[in-house]
Amino acid sequence: MGITEKINRNIDITSWKGKIPVNYIYTAGIAGEKFFREIKDNAKIVGTKCEKCEVTYVPPKIYCERCFARLENYIDVGTKGTIHTFTILHENLDGTKKEEPTIIAVVKIDGTDGGLIHWLGEIDPKDVKIGMHIKAVFKSKEKREGSILDIKYFKPI
Amino acid sequence: MGKRRVAIVGAGMTKFVRRAQETGKELAYEAAKMALDSCELTLKDVDCVSLGTAPDAFDGVHMKGEYLSDGAGGWRKPIMRPYVGGGTGVFTAIHGWLQVTSGLFDICLVVAEEKMSSCYPHPAGAFLTIFDHTTEQPLKPNLIWIFALEMRRYMETYGISHRDIALVSVKNKKNAMDHPCAQIPQEITVDDVLNSEVLADPVHLLDISPTSDGAAALVLASEHIAKKITDKPVWLDGVGWNIDTAYWATRDLCYPRYVEKAARMAYEMAGIKEPHKEIQVAEPYDPFDYKELHHMEGLLLCGKGEAPRLTAEGVTARDGNLPICPSGGLLGVGNPIAASGVMKICEIFWQLREEAGKRQVPGKPKVGLAQAWGDLMQVGTVVVMRR
Ligand SMILES: [Zn+2]
Repeated sequence: MGITEKINRNIDITSWKGKIPVNYIYTAGIAGEKFFREIKDNAKIVGTKCEKCEVTYVPPKIYCERCFARLENYIDVGTKGTIHTFTILHENLDGTKKEEPTIIAVVKIDGTDGGLIHWLGEIDPKDVKIGMHIKAVFKSKEKREGSILDIKYFKPI
Repeated sequence: MGKRRVAIVGAGMTKFVRRAQETGKELAYEAAKMALDSCELTLKDVDCVSLGTAPDAFDGVHMKGEYLSDGAGGWRKPIMRPYVGGGTGVFTAIHGWLQVTSGLFDICLVVAEEKMSSCYPHPAGAFLTIFDHTTEQPLKPNLIWIFALEMRRYMETYGISHRDIALVSVKNKKNAMDHPCAQIPQEITVDDVLNSEVLADPVHLLDISPTSDGAAALVLASEHIAKKITDKPVWLDGVGWNIDTAYWATRDLCYPRYVEKAARMAYEMAGIKEPHKEIQVAEPYDPFDYKELHHMEGLLLCGKGEAPRLTAEGVTARDGNLPICPSGGLLGVGNPIAASGVMKICEIFWQLREEAGKRQVPGKPKVGLAQAWGDLMQVGTVVVMRR
């Protein structure tokens, strides 16, 4: 049976089940190590700045992507930013309805050229607006483990 | 054909290691930056980028060409990712050559990266699905099978012993002792190889290169620009690539015809008539010790079945008449797949410029060759380089 016949039951075709069995361990990298350590130990967000291009990268990079300068000075960029754009999720990946809508935003960190994608919290979806000023809410120190999820969400100021 | 002559004017590479703290982007940056610095160019001078990296499944980043692009200097530039599996490294340089010889661009940054440590328990897991999903996968083949089957066929056809083959591992790991970026430089004996763990007979642990993290990069320039950048350009005078059938059972296995076809293409372009006399230093692909021999034969650097004898006689040693893998090869320097092919071109670049330090082969070589192999173990990629 091939594509010339209409197939209604694909169980009729000889088939096998398979999977690609790979797992991963990712390193945070040189800049990532600094970034996550500051989040974990000090609840701070750091970036790196290219003085020549006047671009501040958040998350930090060890190089300026524009001029390839090596960037070694990590600066505290604060924990505040603005909503650059957002979306409100109503369904899970499997199509089931979410009990509560989830809000995802691109957060521009103040005074930088970068930002983070993260959740918004402590706000009604109806009230979210582009340009709204927000700040990071961190987990308590003993619960932080050096992950982007150490930031619980961003909330309106 | 209206081809423009293309030169390599700069080269750089990271250390090859089992697990780098750096991300793939950071590895790509370190190699690319070193290559640019080596010829005193900046990112602004770069017209286009050729980025090589093998299966996405190694780094664990789907579409990793796009992910790596800024580390490879591709920010707001024309960047492309060529791909022929394990042959990708040398092919990426060929791809860069195409971009420059065509007249489209004058300066191309060639970057190759691999971060295999992401994949666990072993990157070989990423290869389990390269086999035909209905006729082969049910037998649970793995990558080592292919090599064991091919190695035995090679040994049987020409009457070669494992002892003859193990000499390659001994030589390359020792050569790597002079390479500052090497992952497993070692002084070992033939008996060490024969007594190491048997993985899939006849392949033992010390017959195989390690898995690695690393990156390597080249700067290519058109003729008129190259001569302004350096007084020691190394010309990419011949390139070739070729692929054989994807079915192992219909391939020779004892002889890599596709490598011969790729080599003949490169030799013809470079005006090489008698490769065994004209090529003075070579870096054939050596992920396994027998593969160096296999490839020397496919590259017409010696007759079929003759490579083991040349190795035993010391002809392929660093101070021999035809030094093979003076870098230490993948067996000694390491094997971050795509990056290792570019590492081989870096080595020939340094050898022809007499900048290889303790690894320098004697006799001021003028013509060299680098080769890689991969895809479904049936692609050959070759470059002929000239001072
Ligand atoms: Zn910059």
